[in-house]
Amino acid sequence: MIGYTLKRLAWGIPVLWLVATATFVLMHVIPGGPFDQEKSLPPEIRANVDSKYHLDRPVLTQYVFYLGDLLRGDFGPSYKYLGRNVNDMIRETFPVSMQLGLWAVLISILLGVGAGILAAARPLSWMDHAAMFLATAGISVPSFVIGTFLILIFSYRLHLFPAALWEGWRYSVLPAVTLALLPAAYIARLTRSSMLEVLNKDFIRTVRAKGFGERRVLFKHALKNSITPVVSFLGPLTATLVTGSFVVEFIFSVPGMGRYFITAVTNRDYPLIMGVTLIYAVLIVAANIVVDLVYIWLDPRMRIRDH
Amino acid sequence: MTVQRFIRSHSRILISGGFILLIGVAALAAPWLAPYPYDQQDTHSILQGPSPQHWMGTDRLGRDLFSRLLFGARMSMAVGVFTALFAVMFGTVYGAASGYVGGRTDNLLMRFVDLVYALPDLLLIILITVTIGRGVLGIFLALSLVSWVTVARIIRGEVLRLREFSYVEAARAVGAPHHRILLVHILPNTLGVLIVTLTFRIPAAILAESTLSFIGLGIAPPFASWGSMANEGWSAMKYYPHLILFPSLVLFLTMVAFNVLGDALRDALDPERRPRAA
Amino acid sequence: MERRIITGTVIVGLVLAVVFVRAGARAPRALDGSTFRMTLSNEPPTLDWNLATDSVSFDVLINLMEGLTEYDEHLRPRPAVARSWDVSPDGRTYLFHLREDARWSDGEPVTAGDFEYSWKRLLNPKTAAEYAYFLYDIEGAEDYNTGKADRPDSVGVRALDKRTLEVRLRKPIVFFPSITTFMVTFPMRRDIVEKFGERWTEPGRIVTDGPFMLGEWRHEYKLTLSPNPYYYGPEPALRKVTLFVVNETTTALTLYETGDLEMATVPPEAMATYRGRSEYVTAPILRGYYYGFNVQKAPFTDPRIRRAFSMAIDRTEFPAILKRGEIPATFWVPPGMPYHNPAIGLPFDPEAARRLLAGAGFPDGRGFPTVTAVFNTSPENSLIAENLQAQWKRNLGVEVRLDNQEWKVYLKQLQTDPPPLFRLGWGADYPDPDNFMNLFTSTSGNNRTRWRNDRYDELIRSASADSDPVHRQKAYDEAQRILLETDAAIMPLFVATQNWVIKPYVRGLRINPLELLELKDVRLEKP
Repeated sequence: MIGYTLKRLAWGIPVLWLVATATFVLMHVIPGGPFDQEKSLPPEIRANVDSKYHLDRPVLTQYVFYLGDLLRGDFGPSYKYLGRNVNDMIRETFPVSMQLGLWAVLISILLGVGAGILAAARPLSWMDHAAMFLATAGISVPSFVIGTFLILIFSYRLHLFPAALWEGWRYSVLPAVTLALLPAAYIARLTRSSMLEVLNKDFIRTVRAKGFGERRVLFKHALKNSITPVVSFLGPLTATLVTGSFVVEFIFSVPGMGRYFITAVTNRDYPLIMGVTLIYAVLIVAANIVVDLVYIWLDPRMRIRDH
Repeated sequence: MTVQRFIRSHSRILISGGFILLIGVAALAAPWLAPYPYDQQDTHSILQGPSPQHWMGTDRLGRDLFSRLLFGARMSMAVGVFTALFAVMFGTVYGAASGYVGGRTDNLLMRFVDLVYALPDLLLIILITVTIGRGVLGIFLALSLVSWVTVARIIRGEVLRLREFSYVEAARAVGAPHHRILLVHILPNTLGVLIVTLTFRIPAAILAESTLSFIGLGIAPPFASWGSMANEGWSAMKYYPHLILFPSLVLFLTMVAFNVLGDALRDALDPERRPRAA
Repeated sequence: MERRIITGTVIVGLVLAVVFVRAGARAPRALDGSTFRMTLSNEPPTLDWNLATDSVSFDVLINLMEGLTEYDEHLRPRPAVARSWDVSPDGRTYLFHLREDARWSDGEPVTAGDFEYSWKRLLNPKTAAEYAYFLYDIEGAEDYNTGKADRPDSVGVRALDKRTLEVRLRKPIVFFPSITTFMVTFPMRRDIVEKFGERWTEPGRIVTDGPFMLGEWRHEYKLTLSPNPYYYGPEPALRKVTLFVVNETTTALTLYETGDLEMATVPPEAMATYRGRSEYVTAPILRGYYYGFNVQKAPFTDPRIRRAFSMAIDRTEFPAILKRGEIPATFWVPPGMPYHNPAIGLPFDPEAARRLLAGAGFPDGRGFPTVTAVFNTSPENSLIAENLQAQWKRNLGVEVRLDNQEWKVYLKQLQTDPPPLFRLGWGADYPDPDNFMNLFTSTSGNNRTRWRNDRYDELIRSASADSDPVHRQKAYDEAQRILLETDAAIMPLFVATQNWVIKPYVRGLRINPLELLELKDVRLEKP
């Protein structure tokens, strides 16, 4: 197990390097640079600006500069927010997104797995139909609609929660719920479908015949075997939620990292793009490793064998 | 069996399938069904609520919402279906191969999945839409290229699990070739997850397109999709709810239909899976 | 068993609901009486005023800093840190006399040397300031900034003593005191900048000379300002100003409605609701919105076609669509700016437009090539573009395709290969028509039309040096006629407006066309 983990971690490094390179290539291929603006600059000033940020060097040189900084853990200065370092920007905003994201993951697991189990335990009953209807609703409406709707009802009309900003724990409720609804719906459906499949298997009949209580049947035997698709889904989901969602942070004015994924690209803020991409990449790689480890823990037979 | 029994036992498929067919036909017949051209503006009738002249009201340029919804159906359905199909086809082949072969190859293939996953979607999407354009082709390509990885991971997970089952071992002991094992023994058992995944990919793709519209990269004007219409309406939800109500409603109903259809198909395809009331 | 699960869930749900309701319900915000809260639409990219280029940074800096001059209610420059100035007879040398009592927020006096340092830093090529060209009319400035001269003392600005600043221009500029209201010319403290380097604008380091100083700055989220104890003028009535960064206008409006802000912009969809209310304020801004022609691309090489396109548009449709009281504009110099003339420009006349088109060889639009109009993505731009498309079709019989591009991509294209029809806007840097009119001279980097007219260039040049208002009016009128009527290199569409809702207990806030939100005179009257 340890060996396997180390091996996977070691594999992560070339992946990260590939991500850094691929992102660098993509950023420079897209037309438009960080200093194009509505009021255009006289060429001499433009040259000044370009040289300050190494933009006048050949691309390969920029790449080498860049990798060097990365190895030292330095993402460099932001091109759009003058005088600020990308490291600081991430350090200030990542904890906010992480907090929001973890809440959302928790809510979505509770809601999703809970609803899925309820539905699978009593298939075709009203509970099943109700749960699945809600799950469908959750994935059928864009999150910006849900978010605004929640603000309208719970903030504007009922004055229960603040409409936006981030001044205390109460401010995290509406955004976390908005974030959690889509994943919860997915998880509910995945859980239900997977559990139903498992519940129909012979070994479940055996367990039941042995006289074990229904709860034990459900949780100890069925759930464990049906959880794989959910785990597959949860890995990347956690990484995505924890790095922040642009839509939710935009609507609720939450000072998180999610907004950077979009604004950095539209501003062609190369160092920031690289910074958030690499954070995301690190988390995805880590999440995938964790997912595979969980697979093995759940079912040791799944350890990868060579053919 | 009698017609009534057929209808009753396949009610879900018929109703949801019928609804989707209805939407599909409406989409195709939009040019004939729509009371107004989708791009006809009337700056004297801006932002009106539903009325006899405009069944679903008008938008910010005085265009008839009902007509735009009909034409939007074409866009949304096209994007949804093509993206989902491509993502599932490619993702399944990739994921099944990776999971079945295992070992170093699986490792390598999954690391590539990590790589694609770890790239910012937006970069890829901007690149593709800038080169190809923001019509159905560009959007569908861009969305497919970022969404096939989810399918690959799920299918690989399933194949990994199924590979260990005794009947697979038995088949191998008997000397069945790999492709036969995959096609006959393993893949059919992934069908449930596959169908569920497909029926989720379609609404996911349509929603992704609406999020793209939110950022400003969706279908280019004056064309409309349900997503871009929802985006046009959301900031006015408090004041002109009809702008967002109708597109969201149609979106919602269509998504529900796809999901019910997927459920019903899955149950019908695999007798072992039929939910039995316990 | 499920019954137990259900019961359990319901109980937990009820408990949670009670907890939330108790915790969430709160009394309406008690009025603080001295904190003013509003929003900024974006995080300020920088507070280093030599480097700042955008309106958000400016909104903050206008309250933190003061320059040689400032505006009065009519947007004319009046003394600020400079208590008076003398102009030489040839109009090329200015002598600014500074106040004795102007101080920085750490107590140090503001000296002429602070101005000299700031301006030379602005022009220093290593600073890479995008607005360096703002001071190019100073002797030696352009050469220094473009690297042709490398000694800062070749630039014509000098502190003669602690209270006197001498500025030598390369040609007379009558509106130079307007230029010195702009943020890039604010004074700066050499010792602070040199001590802290690039991060000198962080709270605790930055030193300012205006009515407020920077308290807290939580990036991407909020800034707080508090009164500057050393400010020479009357102390502001506000004890604290909080500026939240809220990107979405609807969110900001909701916050205003729940009592969390003192003022907010009114987005188009809320206009119908707020228009009649007393808390609603609207005023024009010095920002014009236009569509330009690339006059080197067929068919817009023919001025008749350009004029036809301009005359085929009924601009009164725009305020109906955008709903914010936009002012339809056939002129370019906007109302509120000196020498504005509403009578200029091509009127809406579809028949004349059709005749022009026919004369150019395309009767009823037959045979007209399909052209593409390009604009940068935004909901408003889409609405306008779609409306223009429909009007050209209706009134000229011409098919125009639309293409929208993401901002950076769009700018690149405008620089390298402007489309035949493109959308742009321009907001005034300072309230003099030169700022609007020099855009379209043949040497302006912002002229995307590829159009040039020597007479136009000459008129703009002479008007900037002439102090006689009658001459200037005539010059700008004639120049506008060339730009808009004869040659029709651009077609202005409308002038934007600002639309605010302001709580009734806010007093002393002056709304002006440059959208400068000065808070030093604002006070909150408790009900």
